[in-house]
Amino acid sequence: MLRWLPLTLLALTLRAEAPDFQRDVRPLLSKKCIACHGPDEHSRQAGLRLDQPHAKGARILARVSHPTRPMPPSGPRLTPAEIKTLEDWVAAGAPYTAHWAYQKPKPTPAPGHAIDFFILQKLAEKNLTPSKPADRPTLARRLALDLLGVPPDPALAAEFLRTGDYSKYVDALLANPQFGERWAKIWLDLARYADTQGYEKDSKRTIWPYRDWVIRAFNDNLPFNEFTIRQLAGDLLPDPSIDDLIATGFHRNTMTNTEGGTDDEEYRDLAIRDRLATTGQVWMGQTWGCAQCHTHKYDPLTHKEFYQLYAFFNQTADDDHPSDRPTLKLTDKSSTLILKELPPGKQRKTRIYERGNFLTPGETVEAALPAAFPPLPAKAPRNRLGFAQWLVSPENPLTARVTVNRFWSRLMGRGLVDSEEDFGTQGVPPTHPELLDHLALEFQKDWNVKKLLKTIVTSATYKQASDLTPELREKDPQNKYYARAGRFRLDAEMVRDQALAAAGLLSRKLYGPPVMPWQPEGVWLVVYNGDSWVTSPGEDRYRRALYTFMRRTSAYPSMMNFDAPTGEVCTIKRIRTNTPLQALTVMNDPTFMEAAQHLAARARQESPADPLAKLFALALLRPPTPAERQRIAALHAATTADLARQPQNAAKLLNYDKVLYSEDRQATLLPDARTTPREWRYRLTDPGDANWMKPSYDASQWSAGPGYFGHFSKPSETTPIKTTWDTDVLWLRYELDLPAAVPTNFKLPARTNAQFDVWINGVLAVSNIFERSGHYEYPINDDGQKAFRPGRNTIAIRVARNGIRGAGQVFDAGLIGSLPLQLGKPQPGDAAKAAWVVVANTILNLDETVTRR
Amino acid sequence: MNPKLESALAATRRHFLSGCSLGLANLFLAEARGAKKPDHPAKAKSVIFLHMAGAPSQLELFDYKPELVKYDGKPCPDELLKGKRFAFIKGVPRMLGTPYKFKQHGQSGAWLSELLPNLSTVVDDLTIIRSMSTDQFNHAPAQLFLHTGNPRFGFASMGAWATYGLGSENEDLPGFVVLTSGGNNPDGGKSLWGSAFLPSVHQGVHCRSHGDPVLFLSDPEGMTRSLRRKTIDALKDLNALQAKQAGDPETDARMGQYELAYRMQISVPQVMDISKEPPAVHAAYGTEPGKTSLANNCLLARRLVENGVRFVQIFDWGWDHHGTSKRDDIQHALRPHIRSTDQAVTALLKDLKQRGLLDETLVVWGGEFGRTPMRENRGGTEGAFFGRDHHPYAYTMWMAGGGIKKGLNFGETDDIGYYVAKDKMTPRDLQATILHQLGLNPHTLHYPYLGLNQRLIGPSDEARVMKELLA
Repeated sequence: MLRWLPLTLLALTLRAEAPDFQRDVRPLLSKKCIACHGPDEHSRQAGLRLDQPHAKGARILARVSHPTRPMPPSGPRLTPAEIKTLEDWVAAGAPYTAHWAYQKPKPTPAPGHAIDFFILQKLAEKNLTPSKPADRPTLARRLALDLLGVPPDPALAAEFLRTGDYSKYVDALLANPQFGERWAKIWLDLARYADTQGYEKDSKRTIWPYRDWVIRAFNDNLPFNEFTIRQLAGDLLPDPSIDDLIATGFHRNTMTNTEGGTDDEEYRDLAIRDRLATTGQVWMGQTWGCAQCHTHKYDPLTHKEFYQLYAFFNQTADDDHPSDRPTLKLTDKSSTLILKELPPGKQRKTRIYERGNFLTPGETVEAALPAAFPPLPAKAPRNRLGFAQWLVSPENPLTARVTVNRFWSRLMGRGLVDSEEDFGTQGVPPTHPELLDHLALEFQKDWNVKKLLKTIVTSATYKQASDLTPELREKDPQNKYYARAGRFRLDAEMVRDQALAAAGLLSRKLYGPPVMPWQPEGVWLVVYNGDSWVTSPGEDRYRRALYTFMRRTSAYPSMMNFDAPTGEVCTIKRIRTNTPLQALTVMNDPTFMEAAQHLAARARQESPADPLAKLFALALLRPPTPAERQRIAALHAATTADLARQPQNAAKLLNYDKVLYSEDRQATLLPDARTTPREWRYRLTDPGDANWMKPSYDASQWSAGPGYFGHFSKPSETTPIKTTWDTDVLWLRYELDLPAAVPTNFKLPARTNAQFDVWINGVLAVSNIFERSGHYEYPINDDGQKAFRPGRNTIAIRVARNGIRGAGQVFDAGLIGSLPLQLGKPQPGDAAKAAWVVVANTILNLDETVTRR
Repeated sequence: MNPKLESALAATRRHFLSGCSLGLANLFLAEARGAKKPDHPAKAKSVIFLHMAGAPSQLELFDYKPELVKYDGKPCPDELLKGKRFAFIKGVPRMLGTPYKFKQHGQSGAWLSELLPNLSTVVDDLTIIRSMSTDQFNHAPAQLFLHTGNPRFGFASMGAWATYGLGSENEDLPGFVVLTSGGNNPDGGKSLWGSAFLPSVHQGVHCRSHGDPVLFLSDPEGMTRSLRRKTIDALKDLNALQAKQAGDPETDARMGQYELAYRMQISVPQVMDISKEPPAVHAAYGTEPGKTSLANNCLLARRLVENGVRFVQIFDWGWDHHGTSKRDDIQHALRPHIRSTDQAVTALLKDLKQRGLLDETLVVWGGEFGRTPMRENRGGTEGAFFGRDHHPYAYTMWMAGGGIKKGLNFGETDDIGYYVAKDKMTPRDLQATILHQLGLNPHTLHYPYLGLNQRLIGPSDEARVMKELLA
């Protein structure tokens, strides 16, 4: 294990007499002056510009200390200390240097492990001492959660706990394909990845091949410069491979507005702005989006320069078309969204949009870089490819810094630059500028991501304990100086994946279309959309969270409760909150309860003599302390006593998954036209009786016929009409016999382009006015569910086109339901077994379990 | 760094120094849940925002235009079409006068249509704004603009801003509750009640009328209340051991959240259960326990603000009356929808007033834009039914209670209701006014994100607190 360097090597930096412009003066000007005396010529007051060198120092001093009308005119005034800083600076000749982040990184010699050298230097300066190293179980868990996002394989962890061979453990984790899944998810936050188009209908789109490309890129350790170029401009590479094209999905994650009556150009323009703003944030830590309506108020980016950057992105063929074109055909069934450059003669003119409004185009501009940054090399193509190559060139002072800072933050809990999303003048300056530059320069040499991560996790800084001592709590509660390791709540996906992994349920399957694990009924209610959430079968229920279908307008609830973003915009940094909804999720979300059931069973099977030791080993990778044993034994005993009196609850806990997945007990109660349609009683004219839907009504005089009902102007092969219905309204009745054990969770699969109401035994059970695609499984309301009974049941349906004209009309319906669950006879010992489920539920809810420490 | 966090941290340090165990995370908790001091004395403690998603027709309900009736069936003049973008109108549509009769009501003499027989009895409690104007003409962007101050995704909603600025009055209920009806969520989706860059604790909690009122509120099958209590007690003791070793204030905060969650398991179903309301209340609102309806949600809104919920956001879907069929036209479809709405919303106002809650509850009603004075001719031809297209230039909203003037008719449109003729008011002005009534300064309420002090009212200072509307 690495040891701390002797502190005597370190020299403390002495504060110079004159204030440092970067450290002391610029932040002051940025905070108090630049909004009105900055780069934006429209809001600039008195013609005074303080973000550039000038010779008006005396004038500033006079204004900030003016007796009656001091600057700034509103908001808090400058403190005497701040005025003194300005005086000293002016006295020293008011020296200006460019904002730190726009200067190229500078090397500083660092003996030993460079990270520890710089961290210790600062700790000594702040009079702090580092924490002791974390113990092996803590490190084993921390490292696996950080690198894989799930607990380690028990065998691998056991080997590390035995040998203490840290480097080997790190290498094994970095080589595990779960590594790519974890780091892809971090990247997909930035890429605003989701599986739908966003806006209103929010229809599905196929872009998961891009998600898989990101996973592979991390697992293959694709150098970050290549990773960048392929995502931004893979289509412009000479002879692009299929993978290079799929990679361009990064910027096809912008939303498409298919709402009726929208202007495609308006939303195409928004997508281009989003691409520019996202690129600025992800690679440059720049808030370029601010300059779309006017020159940036703080940072050096003019309104015109924004549109010069926009011009790089403005030549792609996508145009907010509902089909999401252009796409790349992958198989007969699937295509994925890609970028495609318009051919030379068809390229767009880029104009400056006054106040950011695409309806008021102004001056025409060409693609160019802002003046504050080094220019594109003369030979570089003036398109996305040239731009992407420039982003990762050594001339660009930002990409490497921004990237290492992001990786650092994920491992340490806080960035060296805390404002990960803003390296501009309004951002927070780095706590350790030399370390940031050192890491950036090293990273730029080969853009090797796994090497960078290994460098960080092998530092003594990373391996410290995370405990917050009273001293640290007082001197550095935010852990700005890293005198301890980070202790913070797990990301949403990790909270879930960890529970499934501990339970032995987590699937190891990599890649593929998004899946639908269990989700409460009624979460998906999307306007004009026929999509429904159908729980995936088999192991697809237990895939890692990054494979869960992401609908932008309706997030997966447990992910949303734990602060996961939903893919509308680029999310640089998740804000971690601590809320009662999170407590409710881990306590009650059936996914977690199912994990508790299997975790308990696994612990009992693998360690019958001491299930608790196994529970702790699986969830926390450590043995329980005597105090914990005692407390949990008390919980187990009290729970067993309760459950011994409630055998039905013990049975439910032991069979929780069977109770939960009622879809596994689903049966077709009335087949629809897709299989063997039954004969319905029907009428095309009004029955003339208000009770026509009631069981007591006699429909024996009605006509009889099977679905599909309807007519088309052209016959359809996929939808063969068996019974003609060509009037506005169709009345239907069916008499259905149900067994004595009445099924539950009834649904009505129906295919129609009409509006309809359904009555079960005379009770209104479905009232639908939306057109959905295919045989959509319409939910039956609570009253309808309760109306079913053993024996004879009457299903009555009124279908109406309500005057809509079109190429035809169709109706067909069936009925499905879940058969009742048969739990086995209670056995002696069930209560004690079921009590372990309750204990496992408790362990999953521990603060330590949901925390990375 | 965010100044709120900075001050929370400073306070944490003070607490530790004085030996108090309240940690940083508890202060986050306090930020989200405890009541906070407003910028100026508040006129409204709570807001009930009734959003009629889809945009109800102002011309059938509030904006009386006899001139338009005269022009009914005449081709729309070219100058009203030139340079304009419409969602569905093509070519030259014809003007459409309302088929409904209007009358003046109350002391204020407000013109209301025959479709609002109930609301017309409380018209002297309302400020009716007939001069709303927006710049979005598609549903999702217009709804996002109204509720988050930006037609794009990625911005925090009004309710999130309110709880961020003020916290909540009730420790056992969320500060920002969302209720939906009409069979669909609104076009803008959950972003309409999202927290975006604000901490997610401020996002609206969607309370449902089927299944769990709040997702994951009920104990899993087999887990009784008594077992749940036992697990929480054990968690408390086990977490205390962890807190002692790790010294992280987040651990204490998490335990606080488990206790709160346990209380919510009781308090939320209680407040959401309307079945015990007296029959007279059900009769007044038109509520039916167990149904999902605007009426039920109106009654729930009253119960929620009564219990200290800061912001109740109601979305009622199905007001997009284009006239493509009987189900979305202004004769067959609008009439039943407005009938139940008129009853429920009026009952809500009367109920709040009778309980003395109206003075401190700001009620806002309206859609995301208006509807055209022209008849929609989808695809260039007129169908068999009557409807109107999306119209951003002029529409009506109303406000009541919470320090808003009683019986005010504010703003005017031109003779055919196409443009605002007097006292134009924008969604930003509405947002500024709502925050102001809650005691917040809309111009200074901000959150630093992406190098900018983000505000509900956006980066420019166009938004105005509408002093003319304030009592």
